[in-house]
Amino acid sequence: MKLHLRVWRQKGREAEGQFETYEAKGLNPNMSFLEMMDVVNDELTKEGKEPVAFEHDCREGICGSCAMVINGEPHGPNKGATTCQVYLRSFQDGETLTVEPWRARAFPVLKDLVTDRSAFDKVIQAGGFVSVNTGQAPDANAMPIGKEDAEKAFDAAHCIGCGACVAACRNGSAMLFVAAKVSHLGMLPQGQPERGERVRKMVAAMDAAGFGNCSNQYACEAVCPKEISADWIGRMNRDYAVSAVKKL
Amino acid sequence: MLLSSIGRKWIVAISGLLMIGFVVVHMTGNLQMYAGTPDKINLYAHLLHSYPIILWAFRLGLIGVTALHIWGTISLARENRRAKPLQYAVAGRKSRLQVTWTSVTMVISGTVILGFVVFHLLHFTAQVVDKSYASMETAVGGVAMHDVYRMVIKGFSNPWISGFYLIAMGLLFSHLRHGAASVFQTFGLRDRQLVQVIEVGAWILAMALFVGFGSIPVGVMLGLIRP
Repeated sequence: MKLHLRVWRQKGREAEGQFETYEAKGLNPNMSFLEMMDVVNDELTKEGKEPVAFEHDCREGICGSCAMVINGEPHGPNKGATTCQVYLRSFQDGETLTVEPWRARAFPVLKDLVTDRSAFDKVIQAGGFVSVNTGQAPDANAMPIGKEDAEKAFDAAHCIGCGACVAACRNGSAMLFVAAKVSHLGMLPQGQPERGERVRKMVAAMDAAGFGNCSNQYACEAVCPKEISADWIGRMNRDYAVSAVKKL
Repeated sequence: MLLSSIGRKWIVAISGLLMIGFVVVHMTGNLQMYAGTPDKINLYAHLLHSYPIILWAFRLGLIGVTALHIWGTISLARENRRAKPLQYAVAGRKSRLQVTWTSVTMVISGTVILGFVVFHLLHFTAQVVDKSYASMETAVGGVAMHDVYRMVIKGFSNPWISGFYLIAMGLLFSHLRHGAASVFQTFGLRDRQLVQVIEVGAWILAMALFVGFGSIPVGVMLGLIRP
């Protein structure tokens, strides 16, 4: 199988980028998208050209490193899958695919398909944690948590911080990411003491990083490889208001 | 905190909800055009104008709410544009990204509705578009009052005005279809079980307003509402 690729090439952060076209030939439909990129890069290296820079790590859909927009869809055409979990059988033989980096002011392109996603780290540093005094590890099950709450908290904790929500959003909003991180701690008893402070600080960090604002279109939820629900954004909106009123 | 992203979303949602409340009451009042007698709507308008202090307090409050809604949405939308400096070369499939047409045209629909509201106030409230409205008088039970019934029929006899009115009401449908459902998300009341109810409810509300408001110029143009 073969594919025509239009890939975004950009030498550096300040450089102008443009699309370059490549023919990927001799592909196996059971190759992953990243394996196909490896084949393309092998060819480029053999020709003495600069390979396409892209991020990848676990290649099993849990690290959130691989970040490519394929035909305008972050992580490609499949629901609930990261780019590394997209296989070439999802495409037609001979199809033209346009591959771009995440687009958002808060995620500047570093090189080709690699963006700087440290804005997410700044949001986490602002409050995405629970403060625990050091000492003995607590007894297991010393703090009972209902099955339903545990499951819900885990649904939010599934977020791998890949940034597809920001990439898909027309406003470059990070509210799905921030809401998931605010809520998975806010659902649990350990997260209660800092709950109000957490949501206020994380939202302030989100605003400062230059993300846009949610306009309730839910493209984020549609492309999220972990299928995080946009309902968490509603919960964050409520938590934020409650905490703001309490602080008065 | 009111000026943060979420703070402004709350301002937009609350002001939007208050304006929805206003248009529902306004539409219900308008339906008195169907009472079969001009007296009903004329008495209603007379009642609303009999306490100028309450009337003006209400008007100023509504202007303030509208101003907050406009300020909030403009400031959020400007940030949104800045946050996405470059769009994708190839647009993703609408079906995959589940983005609705009404949601991406909120700024356009809102702006046209604002323009319509200004015209509407000049037309029926300030009565400067057609000066003859001001002298339309009637008497109900011996009390002299403004003849709103006749003014509305004369106003909507103009096909351009009726056409503009209908376009604006169509955009109001589009705006509220997304806006009314969004209120629930901003208030944090939307969840899996309620999504369908909220979406269908917002559609029904928006459609009811469109039909309720829109039927009056259509009724006048078709001669169903007559002097």
